[in-house]
Amino acid sequence: MSLHDIIFWILSLWAIVCAIFVVISRNPVNSVLFLIATFFAISGHYILMNAQFLAIVNIIVYAGAIMVLFLFVIMLMNLNTDTEPQKSRLVHFAALISAGSLLLVVLSAFRKAELTQIPVTDAGDIGLIKVLGKTLFDHYVLPFELSSVLFLAAMVGAMVIGRKEVVEEKSTK
Amino acid sequence: MKPLIATAVFAILMMFAALTVKEKKSFTHFAAILMLGLVGLNVWELADYNRLLASAQASPDLFGKMLRVDNYALWFNVLMSSCSFFYILLVGRSIEKVGVHVGEYYALHFFILCGVFLLSTYNNLLILFLGIEILSIPQYILSGSDKRNLKSSEASLKYFLMGAFSTGILLMGIVLLYGAMGTFDIHGFNFYATGTLNIMGVVGVLFMLVALGFKVSAAPMHFWTPDVYDGSPTPFTAFMATIVKVSVFFAFMRLFMEGFANLDPYWKVTVLGTITVLTLLIGNITAVYQQSVKRMLAYSSIAQAGFMMFVVIGSNAMAMKGMIIYAVAYTLATVGIFGVLLKLKDYTYDGFNGLAKKHPFLALIASICLMSLAGIPLTAGFFAKWFVIAAALEQPGTFWLVIFALVMAAVSLYYYFKVIMAMYFKTGEPELITPVTTMDKVVMAIIGSAVIVFGIAPDMLLAWI
Amino acid sequence: MTQLVYLVPLFPLIGFLLNGLFWKSMPKKLAGIIGSTAILASFAVSLGIFFEVKNGAAAGQGIVHLFDFITVGNFKIPFAFMVDQLSAMFLLIITGIGFLIHLYSTSYMHDDEGFTKYFAYLNLFVFFMLLLVLGANYVVMFIGWEGVGLASYLLIGFWYKNKEYTNASKKAFVMNRIGDLGFLIGMMLTVYHFGTLSYNDFFAQLQGGIGAQTQNGYMIGSGMTNAIAICFFIGAMGKSAQIPLYTWLPDAMAGPTPVSALIHAATMVTAGIYMIARSNALFNLAPMAQNMIAIIGLATVLLAASIALKQNDIKKVLAYSTVSQLGYMFLALGVGAYVGSLFHVMTHAFFKALLFLGSGSVIHAMSGEQDMRKMGGLGKYMPITKFTFLIGCLAISGFPFFSGFFSKDEILAAAYAKNPMFYYLGLLGAMMTTFYMFRAYFYTFTGNFRGTEEQKHHVHESPATMTIPLIILAILSLVGGLVGLPEVFSHHHLLNEYLSPVVQNFDIHHLDHTMELTLMGIASAIVLIMMYVARVITRKEQFGEAKGLAKVLENKWYVDEIYDFLIVRPLAWKARILNNIVEQKGIDGGVNGLGQLVQWGSTRLKNLQSGQVGSYLFAMVIGIIIIFAIGIFGLLYM
Repeated sequence: MSLHDIIFWILSLWAIVCAIFVVISRNPVNSVLFLIATFFAISGHYILMNAQFLAIVNIIVYAGAIMVLFLFVIMLMNLNTDTEPQKSRLVHFAALISAGSLLLVVLSAFRKAELTQIPVTDAGDIGLIKVLGKTLFDHYVLPFELSSVLFLAAMVGAMVIGRKEVVEEKSTK
Repeated sequence: MKPLIATAVFAILMMFAALTVKEKKSFTHFAAILMLGLVGLNVWELADYNRLLASAQASPDLFGKMLRVDNYALWFNVLMSSCSFFYILLVGRSIEKVGVHVGEYYALHFFILCGVFLLSTYNNLLILFLGIEILSIPQYILSGSDKRNLKSSEASLKYFLMGAFSTGILLMGIVLLYGAMGTFDIHGFNFYATGTLNIMGVVGVLFMLVALGFKVSAAPMHFWTPDVYDGSPTPFTAFMATIVKVSVFFAFMRLFMEGFANLDPYWKVTVLGTITVLTLLIGNITAVYQQSVKRMLAYSSIAQAGFMMFVVIGSNAMAMKGMIIYAVAYTLATVGIFGVLLKLKDYTYDGFNGLAKKHPFLALIASICLMSLAGIPLTAGFFAKWFVIAAALEQPGTFWLVIFALVMAAVSLYYYFKVIMAMYFKTGEPELITPVTTMDKVVMAIIGSAVIVFGIAPDMLLAWI
Repeated sequence: MTQLVYLVPLFPLIGFLLNGLFWKSMPKKLAGIIGSTAILASFAVSLGIFFEVKNGAAAGQGIVHLFDFITVGNFKIPFAFMVDQLSAMFLLIITGIGFLIHLYSTSYMHDDEGFTKYFAYLNLFVFFMLLLVLGANYVVMFIGWEGVGLASYLLIGFWYKNKEYTNASKKAFVMNRIGDLGFLIGMMLTVYHFGTLSYNDFFAQLQGGIGAQTQNGYMIGSGMTNAIAICFFIGAMGKSAQIPLYTWLPDAMAGPTPVSALIHAATMVTAGIYMIARSNALFNLAPMAQNMIAIIGLATVLLAASIALKQNDIKKVLAYSTVSQLGYMFLALGVGAYVGSLFHVMTHAFFKALLFLGSGSVIHAMSGEQDMRKMGGLGKYMPITKFTFLIGCLAISGFPFFSGFFSKDEILAAAYAKNPMFYYLGLLGAMMTTFYMFRAYFYTFTGNFRGTEEQKHHVHESPATMTIPLIILAILSLVGGLVGLPEVFSHHHLLNEYLSPVVQNFDIHHLDHTMELTLMGIASAIVLIMMYVARVITRKEQFGEAKGLAKVLENKWYVDEIYDFLIVRPLAWKARILNNIVEQKGIDGGVNGLGQLVQWGSTRLKNLQSGQVGSYLFAMVIGIIIIFAIGIFGLLYM
């Protein structure tokens, strides 16, 4: 087992355990913190795969910006354990059973699966900004541009949902 | 390519219009003109492609095989944009009444059409994913756009939460497929590359099946549909139930036909057949007991999805034809019946009582549309069902599935004819909320006659296949 | 002329469109003229076609291709008409009798506010019926098939303000749909095995007989032909009112009387016979289906005839007699006497239309009264109706040398050749037929008037537009049998010769002449005896509370109640279960995420909005697990 493998296992374990805690911890603030920890583990994976840029962006955007927003929301809305609806034991039980059986079914499939090794082309510098930019604006330019359409649509939507319907009220009065 | 860019540009134009235009009515006119332009662009694109095809310069692959724009997809786009055009003409006035952001509502429609065009032309799972998201996010918003109505907000939230769940599943499927195949290109999938079946790929297929099944409201992923369709403002329900749904089916069929072609056909029939049976059963049986026509139509859209599953099961040349005919027949009929529904004040069956006496034209159009949905011969719906069933029959082991579907089609007659009965054989004083204008009559007449014309000569729709 | 065949259904369609679109503004007179003229024009064209077909044109030659309907690869369904002896014969019956009934309706329906609508529906019905018999493939036939169902639904519920009538129309529609499903499945099976739905193609493939290869590469086996034939027969069962799907027909009497005459006596109900006769090539290869048809036909004859014995509503008597006569036709089909069956279709169309129109004339005179117990002695006031009705009774009973005599005789002879038991039971049916028809006749036209004074005052002979059709039909009932004289009398069975290119008849010649004459003699004697019995009994019978068997008969063997108990209620019950438990508790509530279960555990969750979404998701996950299990385990063990 090489060093690379050892780091991989540690990171994976870290990510999985933290992800589980995101779900099971009662305090939402703790959940968010665990989520940030998960993101760090995933960033570690990126670095392991030689994608430094992605790793950094992942931390800056997700762990930095989005998670802070999450925390703001949670704190502003005062979502602590007291207001969190108490789910009955039965719900937990049912959720556990169903998730468990899903896992079982999928695992039973993977047990038979042979993992095919996909040859990684030009793995060395794929994560570098220069190469990434070139690929993004060359081969993946359409998905890239479409993402902007997607965000535009989401922004319009946020506006529709968020804006008060002042005009309407005036006209009805 | 032109129409795809145009959808985004037109959406932005609509938003700019929202800044300057004050009169609500102008939005509808503007949107209708833009939509007509979109139809024109699609036709232009189709003509252009065929001109190039004649000189052997055309290649369907665009953007490094990200898109595959061929005659079939372009023809579908032409039909869908035309249907959207009629949709706007018919329900425009109701859209104006939903809320204040009329311009934005239309903008969101154009965004949805951007997603529709992506779904009809995608050649890459990335584009499929983006297409589905571009299609879905505006829908979440539209379903919650009637902010004075709690049910609408509830519908929006439910749709969003469950949609997010299905997006996760879709991504999981795409990731597994990528892991198994090493490519996003749907034409590059080979499940027997190593000689034995690639199980990881198959699990990916199942995940994608579930996610796409969610979007087309196939059982058991249909739970959101009644609540969302019922809660959303009615004009938007009409759009979601028709153009959006058939577009996802189009993508669904292409995925199975082109991407997953070399999977075992028996396996495909078993898995898809299970979903189909459940969908048909739940959709039809539950629709029978609805009190509200709008909610009945929500369940009926589930039932119709069960029939459209046959194109996915078929995944052959016949299914391609069936897809087009079903898409048009179902969309026209549903838009038509929603057009009538929107005129009425009361959405329950009782609200239709005596409609034939007071507004014989509305009743006639509604009857034609309902009969088409039920699949009565001489309406487009008959051939739609005919084609998809014929497509499915070409696959092995589908015989009993088809029999079951026919039984369910017989059940569907009950709830469709209940509306017709109410209109023609019961007495009542149906109240209209908006008057029936000449424009409405013209559009309804076009829809009604189209349903009958396509019921006599469905080959007209297959011109470009 | 054959090329002009599209005109035949076109005229009624135009009539329908004119009357249907302008029903608000159309004056009554004009509506009647348009409706009747359309059918008359069709009749004229049909007549031309008939003579052309009669003097030549072998089977399968007369395909008139109108346009391509559906094209799927090499599988084509053209919208084509088939003009041959069989369809020409039906064209004449439909348009001929149809015209008379239209004419009759102009006075019968004169006071109805929906006059124009009525004619529109009637024309629509004729249009679909013509489509049904003209189609050159099963798809066109099916369009007509569904169309007549629709038109009959509209006409039965024509007086839609009466709840009972609309229920009757619904019942007819549903019963028909059950049959249609069988037909549809039969069609599917045909496409699946034979790759075609057009008659010529299909029958040509069947020519090979058992063991031959079909176009799709299947071997024709008796299992396959029987399955298809039985499916087709189920379709015919619904349309032609056979056990167990016959109950709609008596209820269909809710419609105006001319409608009963046209749809429920002369035309629509014979669609099933037409379909089976048309597919004779198939049925000849399906002995099991044939036996089934014969037995069900015979059972229908007996059941319906026994019910008719005790009915007091004049139209109900005629309705059950129709069911019973249809049973004879099926019996004939079952024993392979296709020509006999078609012969009976023709003569039955004459005398049953006559009887219905006669009863309509009576009902008209009695201001809508249908109960025979309130009639009596009407013969004095309406001689033409009485006389024509008597001819109808004689014809349907099979009184010697009336039309019904020859057709029924042919069927019974064929039944005897197949199995003497069929003959005896058929004879029993004929006995009952004579009895109930003459019972109706005596009650209505002889004796003392039993109605109110007001009615008595009002009784009058009907106007000429009503009596002329009666007289024409009476003449037809009288002489209609001459086209099919049995061999003892003449060597030229005209109908048989005429139909021989299309219908491969079962050979009935091996009955020797003495035998055949004996059979005829028995039948005739029975008719006479039963007439006498009817006379005696009608004189004596008191209209008291019926008891014992009579009560069972009066209540139609309680078949409706039995259906209600066996089928309708369990279905409704199941539906309620589905709705209340599976849907509300199961899907909406229970699967609605273990909703019920969760409620049991925690009441708080009920207050939560997200509880629902959570439960939806939970149900979804369960569904996903099932799909995955099927998908993955199906794959591993496939």
